[in-house]
Amino acid sequence: MDDQADVVVIGGGSTGCGVIRDLARRGLDAVLVEKGNLTHGTTGRMHGLLHSGGRYAVSDQTSARECMEENRVLRDIASHCVEETGGMFVKRPEDSEEYFQQKLEGCRACDIPAEVIDGEEARRREPYLARDVEKAIAVPDAAIDPFRLCVANAADAREHGARVETHAKVTDVLVEDGEVVGVEIEHDTGPGKRVHREPGTTEEIRARYVVNATGAWAGRIGEMAGVDVEVRPSKGVMTVMNTRQVDTVINRCRPKGDADIVVPHETACILGTTDEEVDDPEDYPEEEWEVDLMIETLSELVPALKDARTLRSFWGVRPLYEPPGTGTDDPTDITRDYFLLDHDERDGLPGLTSIVGGKLTTYRMMAESITDHVCEKLGHDAACDTADTPLPGSDDFSVLRDYMDEFGIRSPVGRRSAQRLGSRADEVLNGADPNPVVCECEGVTRAEVQDAIEGAGSDLNAVRLRTRASMGNCQGGFCTHRISAELAQEYPGPVVRDAEDELYQERWKGQRHALWGRQLSQAMLNHMLHATTMNRDGDPATTDADVDFGAFDAGTGPAGADGSEVDDATTGVTATDGGLDGDR
Amino acid sequence: MTRHTGNDDTDTTEESNGTNGTERHEEADDGTPAQPTVPELGRDEQPAIFVPDDDEDGTTGASAGDETDPRTATDGGVESATGGSDSGDLSPDAYDPIDVFPEGDLDLRDGADSCYKCTSCDTSCPVAEVDDEFPGPKFQGPEQWRLKRKGDHDIDESITSCSNCMRCDDACPSSVPLSQMHNEARGQFVEEQMEKLSVEYIRNRILANYRTSARLASMTPRLASFAMNFGPARWAMDKLLGVPKEREFPEFATTTFREWWRDRGGAQVSNPDKRVAYFHGCYSNYNTPEVGKAMVRVYEHFGYEVLVPPQKCSGTPMFANGMLKDARRHAETNVENLVEAIGEGADVIASCTSCSMSLRQEYPELFDIHGIEDVSEHTFEALEYLRIHEDLNGALADARPEDEQAFAYHAPCHARNQGLARQAVETFREVDGVTMEDVGDSCSGISGTYGWKSEKYEKSMQIGEEMFEHMEDADGEVGMTECPTCAMQMEHGTGYEIRHPLQLLEETLVA
Ligand SMILES: Cc1cc2nc3c(=O)[nH]c(=O)nc-3n(C[C@H](O)[C@H](O)[C@H](O)COP(=O)(O)OP(=O)(O)OC[C@H]3O[C@@H](n4cnc5c(N)ncnc54)[C@H](O)[C@@H]3O)c2cc1C
Ligand code: SF4
Ligand code: SF4
Repeated sequence: MDDQADVVVIGGGSTGCGVIRDLARRGLDAVLVEKGNLTHGTTGRMHGLLHSGGRYAVSDQTSARECMEENRVLRDIASHCVEETGGMFVKRPEDSEEYFQQKLEGCRACDIPAEVIDGEEARRREPYLARDVEKAIAVPDAAIDPFRLCVANAADAREHGARVETHAKVTDVLVEDGEVVGVEIEHDTGPGKRVHREPGTTEEIRARYVVNATGAWAGRIGEMAGVDVEVRPSKGVMTVMNTRQVDTVINRCRPKGDADIVVPHETACILGTTDEEVDDPEDYPEEEWEVDLMIETLSELVPALKDARTLRSFWGVRPLYEPPGTGTDDPTDITRDYFLLDHDERDGLPGLTSIVGGKLTTYRMMAESITDHVCEKLGHDAACDTADTPLPGSDDFSVLRDYMDEFGIRSPVGRRSAQRLGSRADEVLNGADPNPVVCECEGVTRAEVQDAIEGAGSDLNAVRLRTRASMGNCQGGFCTHRISAELAQEYPGPVVRDAEDELYQERWKGQRHALWGRQLSQAMLNHMLHATTMNRDGDPATTDADVDFGAFDAGTGPAGADGSEVDDATTGVTATDGGLDGDR
Repeated sequence: MTRHTGNDDTDTTEESNGTNGTERHEEADDGTPAQPTVPELGRDEQPAIFVPDDDEDGTTGASAGDETDPRTATDGGVESATGGSDSGDLSPDAYDPIDVFPEGDLDLRDGADSCYKCTSCDTSCPVAEVDDEFPGPKFQGPEQWRLKRKGDHDIDESITSCSNCMRCDDACPSSVPLSQMHNEARGQFVEEQMEKLSVEYIRNRILANYRTSARLASMTPRLASFAMNFGPARWAMDKLLGVPKEREFPEFATTTFREWWRDRGGAQVSNPDKRVAYFHGCYSNYNTPEVGKAMVRVYEHFGYEVLVPPQKCSGTPMFANGMLKDARRHAETNVENLVEAIGEGADVIASCTSCSMSLRQEYPELFDIHGIEDVSEHTFEALEYLRIHEDLNGALADARPEDEQAFAYHAPCHARNQGLARQAVETFREVDGVTMEDVGDSCSGISGTYGWKSEKYEKSMQIGEEMFEHMEDADGEVGMTECPTCAMQMEHGTGYEIRHPLQLLEETLVA
């Protein structure tokens, strides 16, 4: 049998990206297939907390320990994806002192550096904390950017020979003679980079081994192979604030509950979250009360949140897994640990393993264990080096530069670019001249956008995730057209237009949950601008409607092609731009 | 640890509250660095305070979830997951930056919440219009602040090109605190990034502390007026300090306003029911005491008792140069004395629109000094106050100046921001023998100290171009404005004599 690859990994979330990197670095020929963008699933819809483990220090100490271990590793190998914010577990007067002590002891027991600070010190570090906060436990939580993390993992994998296919949905798992031998995929727009309007194709990829890393969707892939994978998807809401009220991760120090964490993320703060079991990881209600709950409850910790501007809200589904027979009712009680399901052992189906549960923080550790497992199955002998080798972009770099002198850009813009690009900053920023700012809210320049387009094709949502362009105050109102204009050099008009619409719609989707106060005004201004200056509410070029050009008058006295004055009412065949069609 | 603490190395006055300034260095000073319990991770390099867990918790918990008052949420009405707390500490209004950062280094990121990116501010910025290198108020204000993270100290250098004309404030439809953002950013830039021995810093410091130079100069006013405008001296100033040789230094009065006030024996009217405290500012004191005198005579004409409390610079030139520490020191004196006057029933009157702007808006935006809000609320511009409290039109109905006069009136940007752009025109509209022509809404281009910098001179004149042209077109051959530096620019660009509305009032009403 002709195998095209050693391993196919299904799912381009943090787990899949981690696995493909590890496989490729160990010299295996691997393919990653993902039905959307990288991070299309839960990884793109999570909180961005690089756990210290503090959150699990009382309830789930195994997870807590793993978190702390991986927290140290990621600060090292993924420094350009991590912001060392530090974190606090904050106690309000009405929160239990007993639990506070348990938390502290738990942290100590799990080797999580923890220090108790009084309310005054907590407010000195985070001045917007409520004045009646009594005390806090400081822990080494951090913020992590899941997009950059996945892209860097995939890039490293590619560099080591892996193939990464996005917008390639697995439609079937090939089973022959009781053994998994590969997958069938549907390319959205043909293999390679995604380009709108290119026709899709299907492809069979045969491989010696298949890894199912589809998180909340793992059951679906299981079904295709004829095995049961009991993931219990549980949804959670996250609300994005326009600015950072805090620069430290703020957790409420009380037993599990909704709305108990604020994570500073890039230019924003993300409030979260809820935990509710849902049936379908792609179709579940997004409810307004969840958003209200975030703001209402978290303003007990940071009162300014109540009056602050909300940009949008989004939901994610946790891929919680419960070994059969545990029978837990409340999803918050399900363990956050991960499980490796070898379908040969479990179901007598060789060639397939699923990995479920876990957290983004422990993605590398999960990837290492599944890669060990695959290597063992394939009899491949190679050691894991992902814990010590920096990801592309995370080699030594400094954000302290003279941006004006070196790259001709303003220092806050340069600083943010360098924080996003890490050690790739020079390579990317030195390329473009001139290099205007394309997205003003997030300080993204043309060079960065062009670099992302190179990697993502006409998929502007992927460009957005790489650069953060269109993720600020205006939510794309002032920049989607500029970003799409960057596509125009390479792609034809209709492709650019589709790409633009897709990005703009995606931005609108999240804003629907923030339509009051200032974001409502923003949305109206965006709408007016797009409708009145770009004809976006009824552009004939996109509605395919026939335009009756004859109905336009030709104006008074423009010269015809031959230089003569034209008698407009009778003979004029007007062109869209007001000039006249030469050969009437 | 910047300027708001008021401790400044060159300051010889009281080192008032050095507390927070030294606190952070304490560990280093006594040689026992605090042991952070989070050694390798995070940025928690601060000393920890270990709270003993003795259970003195009887007081807490009482406020917890047993109350069931319906709490309103942002839009739907959802109660907090924890039932909320009744603590009065939770009102978001109590978390204004100035409350939250009482010791200075305001974090103004939250101001970006109000920005819709509409760009009205950029289109109204006179500097952006002529200076391609200047990114404009939208970048300087909401964008730059929003991109900041705690611990980021690099403010873009371009902030020093903003002239602090505050037209962007006026243009913004959404109350983004632009000038507060610029002032604070400029202060942080100067404090943390500007080379303290650079010529630019020294020059700016001299320009900002105009009061100091003016005080010295006015001790020998004639000599000073001559020496400062003496050719070779000006050439040297241009080359060494970057003060453009094209500009003529204002003349120093031989008798300052305060000297006049003293010699005259102070107030001539005493009236506990109608009292005003005159904030004359530096310029009417040292350079144009006739404006101050006009103020006194006009107000006394209307039966006011005028107080002239001790005072220092209003801070306007210091804000524009990022010298917030200097401004803070002066503000402490001003607020203290003005609060006292307010206690005696007075409102505060300024004859310079930048001074009134500063006391009204910039003071409470930037400093947390006891009584500063009272000062802000009780401050008015001189003409504005009379228009509110007196029947000025009635009084002017039969008045007329000695001879027919026509004026080319320019409304200073800072007057515009206080809603006063039309006051002079409206006041004199019906007065026989006076023609007052508004020369339009452009900026004069000097913006206090901006036009006093060699590298900005050309741009300053370019900005002023429109005003000069309109002045020449106007009938009058005399200029009029409330702002002393606009007056300098108007005179510089047209050669006209420039007067203050108070002087015209004095002439028509009192004389
Ligand atoms: C609300 C919320 C907050 C969270 N916060 C944190 C946090 O702060 N810190 C933390 O460490 N963890 C957090 N997590 C957990 C973390 O996000 C997840 O554990 C992690 O992202 C899972 O990654 P994954 O790769 O396993 O799954 P996913 O990211 O869901 O990846 C699965 C991928 O498979 C793809 N896929 C599905 N079906 C197919 C198919 N047929 N063909 C091809 N591809 C397919 C999907 O498109 C998807 O991209 C949070 C989770 C939630 C829900
Ligand atoms: S204060 Fe004046 S110069 Fe400064 S940004 Fe605003 S409009 Fe421009
Ligand atoms: S005018 Fe105000 S709202 Fe508009 S861009 Fe400027 S700061 Fe933002």
